[in-house]
Parts: sequence; C-alpha cells; structure tokens
Amino acid sequence: MEFDFSPVIDYWPTLLQGVGVTLLIGVAVAVFSVIGGQIVAVITLYTRKVVNWPLRFFIWLFMTTPLLLQLYFLYFGIGEWILIPAIVVGVLGLGFHYMAYNADIFIATIKSVSSGQYEASRSLGFGHLRTLLYIIVPQAFYRALPQLSNNMIIMVKDISVLSAIGIGEMVYASQYAISVTFRPFEFYITIAAIYYLINLMMEAGQTWIERRAAYRS
Amino acid sequence: MDINLMIDITPLLVEAAWVTVDISARALFFGFFIASALVALRTSRIPPVRWLARAYISVVRGTPYFVQLLLIFYGGPAIGLRLDPFTCGVVVGAFNIGAYMSEAMRGAIESVDSGQNEASRSLGFGRLATLQHIIMPQAAPLMIRSIGVLAIILVKNSSLVSIISVVELTYQAQRLIGSTYKPLEVFMLSALMYIVIIYAVMGIVEFLYRRATRYTFL
Repeated sequence: MEFDFSPVIDYWPTLLQGVGVTLLIGVAVAVFSVIGGQIVAVITLYTRKVVNWPLRFFIWLFMTTPLLLQLYFLYFGIGEWILIPAIVVGVLGLGFHYMAYNADIFIATIKSVSSGQYEASRSLGFGHLRTLLYIIVPQAFYRALPQLSNNMIIMVKDISVLSAIGIGEMVYASQYAISVTFRPFEFYITIAAIYYLINLMMEAGQTWIERRAAYRS
Repeated sequence: MDINLMIDITPLLVEAAWVTVDISARALFFGFFIASALVALRTSRIPPVRWLARAYISVVRGTPYFVQLLLIFYGGPAIGLRLDPFTCGVVVGAFNIGAYMSEAMRGAIESVDSGQNEASRSLGFGRLATLQHIIMPQAAPLMIRSIGVLAIILVKNSSLVSIISVVELTYQAQRLIGSTYKPLEVFMLSALMYIVIIYAVMGIVEFLYRRATRYTFL
C-alpha cells in the first residue's frame, strides 16, 4: 500500500485537457438546458394540448429514466439510423436531460408569478407574447435561479458519466492514463479532488447568484 | 416495432430490473444507518467530530457518484479494499446516499420548532427520549418525503454500476441493444421498468407519509 503520484504529474497535461473538455461541456449544456428549459416551459404552459402533451410526456420520460440509459439509447440507438459524433450525443443527451429538469422548475415558477401581473400588463397594452417575454418570464427566471443553480451543480457532476460513451472529459482522460500507468487510485482521487474544487467554486457562485436574485425579486 | 422481440427479451430485463431493485434497496437500507450516524456525529459535543462529519458530507456531495464508484472499485485494491461489483455498488451507493440523507434528516429535524425540544427537556425527558417521542414524530412526514426523493435518485444512480459490470437494467439494456440492433424496443421496455420501479417507490413513500400524518391535522 504505497502511493505514487508521479504518474499523475506526468499525465497532468492529459488531465488538464480533460478538465477543459469538462468545463466546455458544462458551459454548453448549461446554456442549452436553461434556454431550452425556459422555452419548453413557456410552450408547455401556453399552447394547446396537441402541442404541450408530447412535451409534457418527454419531460416526464427524461425525469423518470436514468441519464446513462438515455445516453446509451441516443448513442448506440440513434447511431443505428444516423451517425452522430459522440460529443454531440453527449452534449445533447445531457442537455435534454437537464432541460427537462429546468423546464419543470420554470413551469412551477411561471405559475407562481401572480396572474395579476399578466392582467396588468395586458391592460397596459402589451400583447400576449410581449407580456410573456417582458413581464412573466423575467420574474419567473429570477425566482427559478436558486433551484436552477442547484441543478447546474448536479449537472456538472453528471458530466463524468459521459465517459461511458467515450467523450474525452476528465474521467475518460484519466482512464487512458490509468491503462498505461496502472495507478487507478491516484488518478481517481485526483479527479475527485478536481471535481470537489469545481463544486466549491460553483457553490460560491450559487451564493452570489442567490443574493443577486433576492435583490432583483 | 417488433413485438415478438419485446416478448422475448422481457424475462431478461425483468431479471435485470430485479438486480436494480435489490442493489438500490440494500443501499437505501445501509444508507439510512449511515445517515443516522452522520446526524448524530454532526450534533456531537466534540468539535472535531462535528467537523469530520461535515467534511465527509461536503466531500461526498461535492464529487460525482460515478467517480466515487470508479475510485472504490478500481482504486480500492490499492488500499486493500477488494469488493465484488455488486457489493461495491451497494457500499458506494449507501455511503453516497447516506451523506445526502443525513442533510435531509437534519433539515427535517431542524424544521421542528425548538420550543418543542425545550418544553420536552424541561418536562424531564432525556435527550434521546425527546428525539424519539417528541421531535421524530413531528419531523417524520417531511423526512419521509425527502428520503423518498433520494430513493428515486438512488434507483436512477444505480444505472451507473453497469460500468463496473453489474448485470442490472442499464447493463442488460445496452447489451440487448448491441445484440438485437433494435434500440427503440429495448429502450422502451427498460424505460418502462425504471418507471414502474420509481412509481412503486413513490407509492410506498405516499403510504408511509399517510401513516406518519395519521394523527396530524393539516
């Protein structure tokens, strides 16, 4: 039982590349899932049943099945019909998964904005779409921020799962290094430490965002 | 849609779904005790014990479950910890969910008005008796709900143990997609099984919640 962290230092550039990929995927998925979730929530709440029932069904399906199963279906499944690069599958899979969670939050917060706001805005001459865009959605967005940032913190941890479909993020990068150096413990503990660090930073960011959100709403 | 194929693979998937249930139930069972211990340690009178418990909870919640699983399964032998895949899934699942559950339990306990504790103590109940007879019955409904949410997360997380080759639902689904080339059928069936498991958990939680609030007027 002796630890040797020198391979970790040798393979530091590989790991760092993995960290970069993880962060890039995180940003892409965060933007995609927040904007998408907002759009899905508005469509779900303000359209006819023909449109919003399929959406509700997909939100429900994404929330009741595990991420890994969805990724396998997208990667090995859709791959039968059309060929998509793994990285696209990964970002879209993770994006849709968290889009569903975010939409669920947005639906709740949009409902929590009082109907008086809608009526006041309409009586002031705003149209239906403008009311949604300028009055309802911004208020709902600020109310959703605490839960939203929570979701994003969970999402960043789930990026590690993408290694299962061969995306070169941190875990995948370390698996390559492990297959050469046979030092799984040292590498995985390093990965865990990096994730913990990212998590601490995101939690600090969350506190900051929550303070701002409390001020705005 | 290939109905015959779906009928053929159903027994395989049901068997695998049972492994998913088994591994999640065991992890939940042990996780409950780990969580209780963590709550006790967090409220300990000795500061270093409190700090240790807090650090443990923070680290477990701050790192991905997937990395924890890989660390213990592949890295474990380096520290003399050799576990077979199933046991590893249960152990890591329990220690992971224990950290989350301890936070849920603490939240539920703290939601009970502190006057209840003070009144009970001044009436001569001891610390444990107060917890058992006064605090817990009031904290139980909230605790049951939040543990229910965690149980569902646990079921969905259990799909990750397929990576360390436990033949559970996701593993079997992936293998069947590879061997039958019918992804949609396999996905539909395995998704259905996860949904059935999750709704069963929700039903149990609802039943326990109603039992816990039997004598409460809400």
